[in-house]
Amino acid sequence: MKSVSDIERTTLMTFLPGRIATVFGGRRWRSLAPLAVLIVLCMLIAIANPNFIELRNLVRLANSAAVPLTLAMGLTFIILMGSIDLSVEGTLSVSAMVVVLLAANDSNGNDYGWWAVLAAVIAGTAMGFVSGLVQTMLRIPSFMATLGMWFIGLGLSVYMLGGSAIRLNDATIRDLALHRFLGLPLAVWVATGAFLLAAVIQYHTKLGRHILAIGGDEDVAKLSGVNVVRVRITAFALAGFFFGISGVLAAAQLGQSHAVIGDGRLFAAVTAVVVGGTALTGGEGGVVNTLIGVLIVTVLANGMILLGISPYIQQTVQGLMIIAAVALSLDRMRLRIVK
Amino acid sequence: MKDKTSFTLSGTVSRRTLMMGATAGVAALAMPKVLRAQEKPTLVTSIRSLSNPYHAVWKTGAEAYAKWAGLEHVTLVSEGNSEKGIADIKAMLAKTGGNMVLNSDPNDTPDARPIVEACAKAGAYVVTQWNKPADLHPKDFNPNYVSHIEFDGIASGKTIAEILFKTIGGKGGIVALGGLISTTAAIERKKGLDAALAANPDIKLLDFQVANWKSTEAFDLMGNLLTRFGDDIKGIWAANDDMGSGALEALRAENLAGKVPIVGVDGIKTAVDAVRTGEFACTVTSDPFWQGGMGLAIGYNAKIGKFDPVKEPPEHREFYGKAVLISHDNVEEYYKTNVDAKPEIDWNDLWGRVTGAIRT
Repeated sequence: MKSVSDIERTTLMTFLPGRIATVFGGRRWRSLAPLAVLIVLCMLIAIANPNFIELRNLVRLANSAAVPLTLAMGLTFIILMGSIDLSVEGTLSVSAMVVVLLAANDSNGNDYGWWAVLAAVIAGTAMGFVSGLVQTMLRIPSFMATLGMWFIGLGLSVYMLGGSAIRLNDATIRDLALHRFLGLPLAVWVATGAFLLAAVIQYHTKLGRHILAIGGDEDVAKLSGVNVVRVRITAFALAGFFFGISGVLAAAQLGQSHAVIGDGRLFAAVTAVVVGGTALTGGEGGVVNTLIGVLIVTVLANGMILLGISPYIQQTVQGLMIIAAVALSLDRMRLRIVK
Repeated sequence: MKDKTSFTLSGTVSRRTLMMGATAGVAALAMPKVLRAQEKPTLVTSIRSLSNPYHAVWKTGAEAYAKWAGLEHVTLVSEGNSEKGIADIKAMLAKTGGNMVLNSDPNDTPDARPIVEACAKAGAYVVTQWNKPADLHPKDFNPNYVSHIEFDGIASGKTIAEILFKTIGGKGGIVALGGLISTTAAIERKKGLDAALAANPDIKLLDFQVANWKSTEAFDLMGNLLTRFGDDIKGIWAANDDMGSGALEALRAENLAGKVPIVGVDGIKTAVDAVRTGEFACTVTSDPFWQGGMGLAIGYNAKIGKFDPVKEPPEHREFYGKAVLISHDNVEEYYKTNVDAKPEIDWNDLWGRVTGAIRT
């Protein structure tokens, strides 16, 4: 059933794709749109350059998706809640800083091995926990609270690293990137583990359902007895946990840590989440969508190099793809307001 | 009502206190200004951030010179914010009453003009590096605008390309990683690469890609380039060391580190280490330690009248500094003098690294 005002708002641009969508099964089709985009993208690239489906390239794709995927897992929960976490880069650089400074490095005499990894993940979780506290206890919108945490984190790692790049010399931690199990670098297995963990949390725990409920309608969730404050703090800590893991992976991949190790990751992660079909308004989407979103973004970057697209227009292509993917996956006819 | 009165009153009182405080503050500021006239000048370094290794070394050089000359030194950091950079310098000019020497790496090209104008007005001496508008010249602000220093990006890009070509035996395919498209350094270094390619027809540039100066982006990019060209890649040209080191880690993940030589610019420690292990063929550095110290030295010597900027030849007012090449041949020597110990620089040799006037 459509209300009169809905019909009035319908323009040609929203009407046509909508019609096509209805023919193919409406909402169901839409939820599969990101997957369709991914498959079409893969096919197009594979036709243009068969190297794309080489095993070596698929391994590389998985490898470059590892850090963004782990990051985006954390971010998904926050966006599902209808909030945003801008502290991605700050938290990531703190965790990368902690792991490098505590493991064997070329700047101090520490050598705590895997304890350093544990400490880094704890540091990430703590940063997220503080974001959550600031947001709920001080009642500061997540946008500003996490923006603050971003800069706090960045400042902290600039100070601790003394502004320079510090090398990670611990061979076992570097093995996360360099050692392979069943042909895939360990980082890929860690990212897969992160995905499974996130999926279990979202679909099989109370926390996951409460996060979705808050994103859908916070007042209703509250009235139904959801402890909104606790869920929010836990969700931010959970996001920090995932950011912490990706900080360790990034440090292991690059073999070093500097304060700007997270540069550009926030934008990439938000893009992946949104392209996957999770609504920025919250309550819709999930970690499986994000997995597809991350793959779309990674495949696109890989494909543009394989197709030899000039670096001068790559960003333009990326922008077009984002708009196209969102246009396909979002049911725009159901949007009451667009802001 | 009573509350309201007392509230109004407290407002008056605090306003008066504020006025008194301000007067006292101005008086306090004015007094040392008179006293300072005979004091030694303050050395001021203005740089973009302390979060990159390059400017961190710059600061070390500045401090080394200040210690050598026995002068007070202050570092101002703009954090990539032009307004903050200029405002901090103006505040410093007010605080020292113009009795200062400024060595500035302006955050952005247009910033150089307000910085120089403020310094000239206050009577301070200024040296700028890297960024200035083409129509801003030291000779127009005699004697306060002492010099402007740059490093020839074309020469750097060309030198490292030639060494890369020699390392891979003069033929084969290479890939190049460029910096942020719109920056002068990225454009010039690429020009240098193009010039070297034109002179070596047996070398094929398989692809030129942009990694925006970042190791993280270069890491992902290199993986993709390996897919496209595989073993055809015999060497990697990177417009800076950070991207080069990202590419190196991508090679390492595929067991190719050391087999495909990389060249870069900047001379960061990771790259110098990689030159030692043979994973980098070379890197070239503008020597930020020298830039940080010598910029102050040139300004200070003009200030105390050791030389008169007006009488200096044009190539001492706007010049390209000499870049230092670090390759397999001299890396051990460089490591001993620059990494294990602080570099020893003859701070009296003001013009020793002048290679010529800046192209217009």
